[in-house]
Amino acid sequence: MKALVVDDSAVMRKVLIGALSRAKITDVDQATDGVEAVSATEATDYDLVLMDWNMPNMLGIDAVRTIRANGKSMPIIMVTTEAEKSRVIDALKAGAQNYVIKPFEPAAIVSKIQAVLAKANG
Amino acid sequence: MQVDYINPFIESTCELFTTMLSSEAQRGTISLASPEANPREVMALIGLSGMARGIVAISFPVNTALGMVNRLLGSDTKVVDDVVSDAIAEFVNIIAGSAKARLSGNDRPPIDLSLPTVVRGSNYTVDYPSGSTWIEVPFTSDLGPFTLRVTFEMKPGA
Repeated sequence: MKALVVDDSAVMRKVLIGALSRAKITDVDQATDGVEAVSATEATDYDLVLMDWNMPNMLGIDAVRTIRANGKSMPIIMVTTEAEKSRVIDALKAGAQNYVIKPFEPAAIVSKIQAVLAKANG
Repeated sequence: MQVDYINPFIESTCELFTTMLSSEAQRGTISLASPEANPREVMALIGLSGMARGIVAISFPVNTALGMVNRLLGSDTKVVDDVVSDAIAEFVNIIAGSAKARLSGNDRPPIDLSLPTVVRGSNYTVDYPSGSTWIEVPFTSDLGPFTLRVTFEMKPGA
């Protein structure tokens, strides 16, 4: 099981890597913006992507659209401060499987990761 | 700035402390921010644009900033380094993001966020744009005191 964490905040990447570890996923790559995320998904087949929204160079929502346009179908969970209903709908339309709004309780994101993977593998 | 606009920012600050820091932030008396007020040693700022315009600034004494980051990461950092700056930037991003959702609700287009900026040091002053009104909210917590400052206006017709 291999995951990609995309966030311009190194601290948030560390928090999310900790959450993935609690979900038994320890093989994790990191990207700091949407451009790096797209490149990483072209080079590697990931089982899961955690994607921030507001990042320099390329927004997470645009990275999701590009990843899907490239034919990649791995589950993507948006992890973002963008909490408006219209943003959630935009993300789901773009191809995200689920949505976590910051701030989040660590246990909540672990259970969401597990649920998304169970659905993808079920 | 309407004073009511400050409430979503206060609620978002308290939510951040509860959910991510296992702490409780308690607000003090709301007031107009004084231009002469001495900023704390670490300050993070983020801009709001689109259907509204404004700036959120949150400033911390060093010990509060270190306490928050160490609580979040389970670390024992003793100096304000890039990791601490990064975390403080993320905190203001989360507070502003959560507050803007409360302000725009489901009826208005989303408000846009800028990327956050962090200022470190003890010898600087903040000059507010002329004509802007800043509301200041002091907080206390078991991680130490800090101050939230906000200037915010919805655009006409929003």
